[in-house]
Amino acid sequence: MSSNLAFATPLRSPREEQSTRHIEIVSNRAQRKSRPRIVYALVTVGGLFALFIAQLLLSIVVSQGAYSIASLQTQQRDLGRQEQALSEQLDLLASPQNLATQAESLGMVLSTTSPVYLRLADGVIIGDAAAATAASGGTVIGAEGNLVPNALLGHIPLVTPAVPALTPAVDGATTVPPGAPTTPGTPGSVASTPMALPSPVTR
Amino acid sequence: MNDARRNKRRVGIAVLVIFAVVAVFVVRLVDIQVVRASELNTESLSKRSVSQTTYGSRGNIVDSSGNVLADSVDRFDITASPLLVDEFERLEEDGKSRITVSINDAIDELAATTGAPVADITKALTEKPDSNFAYVAKSVTLETLTAVRALKIPWIYDVLHPSRTYPNGAIAGNLVGFIGTDGPQAGLEYALNEKCVGSTNGTSTYERGADGIRIPGSTVTSKEAKDGGTLRLTIDRDFQWYVQQANAQRAVELGAKWATTVVVRVSDGHLMAVADYPSVDPNNVDGSAVDALGSRAFSTPYEPGSTMKSMTIASLLDAGQIEPLTQVVAPGRRDLGNGESIKDAWAHADIPYTATGVLTNSSNTGISLLSDKLAPEKRRDYMLAFGLNQSTGAFPGESSGYVPPTSDWDAVTNYAVQFGQGESTTSAQIASLYQTLGNGGVRQPLTLIEGCEWPDGTVTELPATEGTRAVSEAAADTTVRMMENVVTQGGLSQALTIPGYRLAAKTGTAEVANAPGGGYGNDYVVSIAGLVPAENPQYAIVVTIGEPSTMKTSTAVAPTFKKLVTQTIKTFRIEPSLDPSPEIPLTW
Repeated sequence: MSSNLAFATPLRSPREEQSTRHIEIVSNRAQRKSRPRIVYALVTVGGLFALFIAQLLLSIVVSQGAYSIASLQTQQRDLGRQEQALSEQLDLLASPQNLATQAESLGMVLSTTSPVYLRLADGVIIGDAAAATAASGGTVIGAEGNLVPNALLGHIPLVTPAVPALTPAVDGATTVPPGAPTTPGTPGSVASTPMALPSPVTR
Repeated sequence: MNDARRNKRRVGIAVLVIFAVVAVFVVRLVDIQVVRASELNTESLSKRSVSQTTYGSRGNIVDSSGNVLADSVDRFDITASPLLVDEFERLEEDGKSRITVSINDAIDELAATTGAPVADITKALTEKPDSNFAYVAKSVTLETLTAVRALKIPWIYDVLHPSRTYPNGAIAGNLVGFIGTDGPQAGLEYALNEKCVGSTNGTSTYERGADGIRIPGSTVTSKEAKDGGTLRLTIDRDFQWYVQQANAQRAVELGAKWATTVVVRVSDGHLMAVADYPSVDPNNVDGSAVDALGSRAFSTPYEPGSTMKSMTIASLLDAGQIEPLTQVVAPGRRDLGNGESIKDAWAHADIPYTATGVLTNSSNTGISLLSDKLAPEKRRDYMLAFGLNQSTGAFPGESSGYVPPTSDWDAVTNYAVQFGQGESTTSAQIASLYQTLGNGGVRQPLTLIEGCEWPDGTVTELPATEGTRAVSEAAADTTVRMMENVVTQGGLSQALTIPGYRLAAKTGTAEVANAPGGGYGNDYVVSIAGLVPAENPQYAIVVTIGEPSTMKTSTAVAPTFKKLVTQTIKTFRIEPSLDPSPEIPLTW
């Protein structure tokens, strides 16, 4: 391109210039407004995605809930059964046969005496004051004594009084002087019924 | 130009292929979704869905203060899959090491925890090796189940087995009844199975995922389980125990065949205790004789004897035929013609008894002379009014006893029925009779069931409360006054008197018609029936001992009767009587 010779530059045709003129229809404001905008499309698609994700999360949470429901239900069932087993045992222990035999093995007697009243108005004693004796009520221990059988009580041991030294002394003569060697504890008392287990020494 | 045509063809082929593929998919889709839809759905559901039995809980039977007499509990059947039985590895407690447990070891462990013999378990597991199900142990407790689960044997499973237990054993066992393998067998368990305690099992299905977890919202209940109602009795458990114990104690001491005691609340006819000896422990039915399974107090009639004299006196008083001081000369033996006669229990010359004296000394001849004042039909009507010859309605399957129609009364029966021979009653009927006397002549329906409480709070099976009048209030009250003299002036006065309390009672020593070839033999039914406190009766107590072998008079019953009256006083906190019993002259 480095030439010093002059040459004519081609002339631009005026027609050519005309043909390049750009004409365009300008939309007015109303038209521009009504044109669909990309943001709406984005919102819609985004919304759909959000819905899908929410749905997904929800079902994850629900099925997660199913697991906790299942485990809680199992727990509830097990606890219910445990509660039932314990109250069953309590009912058994509370049965009069058990209470009466236990009470008797602790030295109580079946009372057959009638109640006695002290009338406060005039100090009159109504009734005949007499202590119950073991002979009057009879025993309720053992197959001979307990005549209202309860097959379920077979395995419940009798609570027998622990060490004799622990029972409060009734008259002065038998009081153990302080410092004196105490009566050796009985090595686990043996239940009166042959079927029952020996009971441990309890305090 | 060639290029364009080739392009066109290529596009055409592609479109065709796409259409073909889509068509194949559409056909398949229609086939799956429409044509075979239901079949496939069923198949998939059967893989996911689990059907289960939901157990309705059988209603408890409780005493009047809610102590459980019959309880529904969960027991478990331990089952195994013989098909899968093999040695297995058990994770030790440290969570790391594993030890291999052989089949024999596993069986030994099972035997030790369930208590089933090793041989039985081995047999169950090996009998049908291809089976998927076998019982190892039945009806074990939760404790055992927990121990079995702790063994972690992979081929051992458990099944819920709802069961029944009776924590109070034989207390009211004859009333409550029991349940056998085929359902309720006796007593209220049987009689109120449909109406109250019985439950129905339901079924429901749910779908589960691959890991066995229930798919939420998939539960379909095809049948609702229905719980039974709680049956509340009028019985007081602790009192019932005492009564049963005392009743049995005396029966054993006397070598009796049977004994019953019935305690009724006078005001409403509610039964506080009904004791039968021998009794049945529903936990151990096999340990009882077959004839001890029902309630003898309701089911077995006997000739009651002189406890009926109170009824005779009340009838005659009501008819206006006698008064407490009506005079009669009672011979030791009264000749009825045709070689027949009636006599008193002891030989004596003529005694100038008052009506009260006749009752107190239980003179048969005296009562026969008093009975002459009223026509037989009238006297029988009174018996029916007192509830004899008809069931009390308190207990299922009870006997109605028998009072023969007057057309069947011969010369002896005409009088014998007035002192309790030649007719039969149950202990419950006698109790009802004394309830009537204590309640001013109004017989309340004898009631054992307080009601059936349903889970939704409604109460059904409420007892009838409508009383019927048997005799006038004056007649009933006067009879009770006269009966007090049995305690204050009668032969058993010493044995029956309770210091501080007024008591009305009547003894009975009835002959039992069990001699070979018919007629009365050497056996007796001895009884005492009474009311406490006599001035305002609250409880009627009837102690009956059947065929004692050591003592054969009502003296045998007196200590037990007194013991039970004392216990009644203490249990129900009856206040002491302030005035002494009226003394009515026995002779003139």
